[in-house]
Amino acid sequence: MDLRSLRLTAVAAVTALLVAGAAASWFGRSADAADHLDPPARTNVGANSDVAADLADVFIWNTATTVTIALTGAGPSNPGLPGFYDTNLVFIVHLSNDGNPATDEATIDIRFGRDPMGKFGVQFLNIPGATGPIVGPVQTILTDGPVVKAVAGVFDDPFFFDAQGFNESRATGTLSVRNDRNLFGGRNDTSFVIEIPRSAIANGTMPVTIWAEARRIIP
Amino acid sequence: MRRSRAIGVVVALVLAACGGGGGGGPATVVTPPTPQGLDVTPCLTQLVAGRSLASLVVPDVVTLDMNQPNGFPNGRRLDDPVIDLELAALFLDLRQHPVDILARRPLNPGGNDKVTLTVFPYLAEAHGGAPAAVGGSGFVFRTDAPSAYTRVDRGGEPAVSTVLVSGPFKNAFNDGTPAADANGMWVAEFTATLTVLATQFRDDFMALGLTPCAVPRT
Repeated sequence: MDLRSLRLTAVAAVTALLVAGAAASWFGRSADAADHLDPPARTNVGANSDVAADLADVFIWNTATTVTIALTGAGPSNPGLPGFYDTNLVFIVHLSNDGNPATDEATIDIRFGRDPMGKFGVQFLNIPGATGPIVGPVQTILTDGPVVKAVAGVFDDPFFFDAQGFNESRATGTLSVRNDRNLFGGRNDTSFVIEIPRSAIANGTMPVTIWAEARRIIP
Repeated sequence: MRRSRAIGVVVALVLAACGGGGGGGPATVVTPPTPQGLDVTPCLTQLVAGRSLASLVVPDVVTLDMNQPNGFPNGRRLDDPVIDLELAALFLDLRQHPVDILARRPLNPGGNDKVTLTVFPYLAEAHGGAPAAVGGSGFVFRTDAPSAYTRVDRGGEPAVSTVLVSGPFKNAFNDGTPAADANGMWVAEFTATLTVLATQFRDDFMALGLTPCAVPRT
């Protein structure tokens, strides 16, 4: 069994335990309420799940001088599991600042690669405000000038939600959500964080919109 | 059935109108296969932080007005209690309750189990310890154009795909685009799914002393 298969098996086992503790029919169909394990026919089908391509959450916030984007995925995974650094994927972050969310004014492409020693690296293309591609090892903060930063690696899953309670609510019709139960507590994601100058994306009073996609090379 | 179709048209047009103008063209209107009991139009048209709920979920993008205070639904910070906020927006009458009424309780866990960082990368260290940085150089990456890859997943607002799209349509929704969203492609599906959920949870919210936004059809 190779490393990827081992990871998938571990995730499948975790998922199986979670499902056993909840209402399996809903969990398998509707997953949880961010975007983890969704669409389930692709990302929550046991050993055949495309875990690495499973987006979880999209975050964006700003300060007076910066805009920060975070994209989480491939989770929730148990502590100790390595990141899902799949070299056959591209993650695309779509940004729009012209008032029409259907258009892209910037798209950031993110890919994983390997060096001759087999170590994993990450490549960020087209980051607004960057002077060029940002490339380097995973789990390492990469910089381009004083403001632009990017990182890919395994971090805490920041999402919090009683997915089991919602699951049970759907199954029974009785709201059973609890605030002392968090499916994502104690679990991790493989995530990206990018920070750019606010001036690189600001367009007067127009809002910024963002969405993301995961795409796979199908041989 | 005729009334149901008319309501579906109204909701479709409201949602499409709130979609940011993407793509142009008329809304795709499909008769929603919704139960006859409740009308969720008041939920979809109610205001959440100055925006209609419909405009938050159509198209499926996160919107950040950098001239306004940050925090969901204006952008999304790591610690925002998005699910309790969204449940309130989806199911409760926000003329009667503040949108953070469930987050204040809280209904779900009130926050992350790890403290997020105040500096980049902001995400908390992995449970079990941060993996060691092992370096490397001379990385080789695929150079295929994005169009050579096949979509697996898309993400925007929390809970849109997972809550408002039912199982048979999950793949198709995740293969979609904000332009298609804005043209009203998923309005009927969102309406139907929200109606099912609103029907399921109506008595529970009322038992908590909360007023649902969905109203019985007359």
